[in-house]
Amino acid sequence: MAKVKVATVWLEACSGCHMSFLDIDEFIIDVSKLVEFHRSPITDIKKFTPVDVGIVEGSVGNEEEKEIIEELRHNCKILMAWGDCACFGGVCAMRSSLDKDEVLKYGYIDTASTYKGKIPQSPGVPALLDKVYPANQIVKVDCYVPGCPPEPEAIKYALTELLAGRIPILPSNIMRFD
Amino acid sequence: MSEITLTINGKQVKGNQGDTILDICTANGIDIPTLCHHKGLTDVAACRLCLVEIEKERGPRPACTYPARDGLVINTSSEKLEKYRRLILELLFTERNHLCAYCVASGDCELQSMAYRYQMDSTRYQYSWPNVIVDSSHPYVVMDHNRCILCGRCIRTCDEITGAHALDFGKRGWKTMVCADINQPLGESSCISCGGCFQACPTGAIFSKGSAYKGRPDECQAVESTCAICGIGCDIKGLVKDNKVVRIDSPDMTRPRGLLCDMGRFGPLYKAAERITTPMKKNTKGQLVDCTYDEAFEAIAKKLGGLSSMAGLASSKASTEALKAFADLMTRTLNSKMVDTLDGDDFRTISAATAQAGGDGNLKMEAKLEDILIADCILVIGAHPIKTHPVIGSYIMRAATKNKAQLVVLDPLRNPFTFRATAWLKPAEGKEGLTIKALGNAILDHGLAKTAGDKNKFGAEFKEVEAKKAAKDLGIDVHDIYKSAEALAEAKNVVIIYGNGILQYKNPDLVTTILNLAGLVSSKPRVISLKRNGNSRGAWEMGISNVKSSVMAEVAKGKAKGLYLLLADDMADSQALADSLKGLDFLVVQASYQSPVTAKANVVLPSLLWTEAKGSYTTLDGISKSTRPMVKSMAEIKDDAATLKEVAGHLKK
Repeated sequence: MAKVKVATVWLEACSGCHMSFLDIDEFIIDVSKLVEFHRSPITDIKKFTPVDVGIVEGSVGNEEEKEIIEELRHNCKILMAWGDCACFGGVCAMRSSLDKDEVLKYGYIDTASTYKGKIPQSPGVPALLDKVYPANQIVKVDCYVPGCPPEPEAIKYALTELLAGRIPILPSNIMRFD
Repeated sequence: MSEITLTINGKQVKGNQGDTILDICTANGIDIPTLCHHKGLTDVAACRLCLVEIEKERGPRPACTYPARDGLVINTSSEKLEKYRRLILELLFTERNHLCAYCVASGDCELQSMAYRYQMDSTRYQYSWPNVIVDSSHPYVVMDHNRCILCGRCIRTCDEITGAHALDFGKRGWKTMVCADINQPLGESSCISCGGCFQACPTGAIFSKGSAYKGRPDECQAVESTCAICGIGCDIKGLVKDNKVVRIDSPDMTRPRGLLCDMGRFGPLYKAAERITTPMKKNTKGQLVDCTYDEAFEAIAKKLGGLSSMAGLASSKASTEALKAFADLMTRTLNSKMVDTLDGDDFRTISAATAQAGGDGNLKMEAKLEDILIADCILVIGAHPIKTHPVIGSYIMRAATKNKAQLVVLDPLRNPFTFRATAWLKPAEGKEGLTIKALGNAILDHGLAKTAGDKNKFGAEFKEVEAKKAAKDLGIDVHDIYKSAEALAEAKNVVIIYGNGILQYKNPDLVTTILNLAGLVSSKPRVISLKRNGNSRGAWEMGISNVKSSVMAEVAKGKAKGLYLLLADDMADSQALADSLKGLDFLVVQASYQSPVTAKANVVLPSLLWTEAKGSYTTLDGISKSTRPMVKSMAEIKDDAATLKEVAGHLKK
């Protein structure tokens, strides 16, 4: 049987969910028998190719992240969101209640330790979106594993369900938002 | 109460006429999800989580407010209801900024638990991300509006239990916010810092600075105890982790003495002063140095036994067991005749007054605190309960706002009651007695109700004063006196409360006048004297203050050569107390905290706090309560009674 193809991205994220995934310890051996990772920070493959499952960690807060998530969505059949940032917006979405330009001014000019600050303008720097969005406000997401980060047990459960051909919905006892 | 029968989820269930559907379900163990419901508070059906399906009703109805009727057929759960509950949660989560990752309440949040229960792993709605404030102006609690679900439990607690009504909703619709007073920072409002809103809040919207991040309830041990600070004796439940008190809750805010106050709820979380952790004795250079218990006891035995005049003073903050051991030590072992409590003058004043007023000279004529809740007229003389005994302050406010009780304040100083009062009689300091007599005279003028007391026995001294002339002499509007007199004369349940503003004069006649007034307006007089400390009444009932004159005064005149001072955790007026310890050859102080008093001592013995020790206390209205230790003191400190017994043992040798 062909291995399930998986691609992962981390967007506006701390990579904690990927670390939590690696915390499934020896179960990763079973996973590696059934799954092969393509474009992913773990493999460091940078080009998107069609996969069965896409996994997104982190929220969408700038133009580049929006492009990446759209490209991932285009290239996968099932998209799974890991972590509070991807599921709800999370810590990254704290700036969503503030005005984007005020946030930039505060971050690059007004802080106490900044001297003659300038807001980055160069073309290589992706522009901020007006708000930081959870993944499902930009693309269609099929399943969710909340947590900050989700427990390895929760990720294990979700992967096991997916590999068995079911869309996972986390049971209450392993659901967490912190 | 007539019994009714309903069919809930296919089963026959019984309830009482007047119950809501939620009442009946709760009584029968049928679970319905709720967020804005809180035991003992008025239900408002704000959150809509409790919607149930009722046969013949057009749509689902909230169980918390729907009056149950005989024959109703109800479903508390269905596919549609579960869908609605999930929708409501998603709407709540997208309305404000609910970020669990760093929230102090994560793991102890009703909104979060509900979301887990309904397996809410995402929301289908757009987030609103409103820009709302975090108000941390208050010394103890923070109001983080990002986490507020507008359930109103804080508002209803502050209104119905605390009686202050410092909180309410401001603005409308989308912009609705919980506001303090007229939208002021909480720390600048009429909030009395009881912490009821903090306990009632289901989320992390209102949290305590002193408890934040110190431990979740499931990581803590819960210890039930009693607060021993002011003499009301509120039941408390301490959450303890790693031998530190994380939080102090009320086991049930809606039962009598269930509401706590800032002193008992927040006080123990903050350091009051430097603790004394080991016995100390003065060396030859006059410095206090650490020593062992045996060294301290020997130093005491060597000096104290041989002194010509020994005095003993105890703070009535100490437990009954400690006070008994203290009394035994002073009177039996040391044969001292100069033994008293620091608040002994209060006892002697009240005792003499009750003997004069026809009582039996003891405290039994005093009322129970809960009498305030059923009063229709409350007279507060020279007392500031919101500051000194906040739960009594709450009772008074509740009686005034909920039961429309008439409130009369007699005080030279403004206090939080004066704006709620029917009348504020404001004599100059020292003129309180004349004012009370004027009031009594006006009452006689007005005429007494059928429930009044014996006019001849209690009314004599009020005939000597003429209300109109007295009002002129006092500079008080005579109409206020007559308005107050009318309220007192016509009421059926009068409660008179007096405190330090009267006791400071140490004048039994002044208290007698108050007791006569009480006896005049009611055949069952109800008086409450606000005693200073948690075990004042316990100390007085033991008779420790039953001496002719103040031992404190004698010590201040230098009449004692040796003094044993059982201070416990009493820090009141420590500099003044230290300054009045004169002419002593030897001073032993048994205390919890370092202070100017302990600095003067020859020997210092450590004292456990009420949070660390088992002890009995008598509330100011005569109820026996006891504390259970919530934490173990980090140092090896013996409890007060054991220490005093060992001192006695060493002296006997």
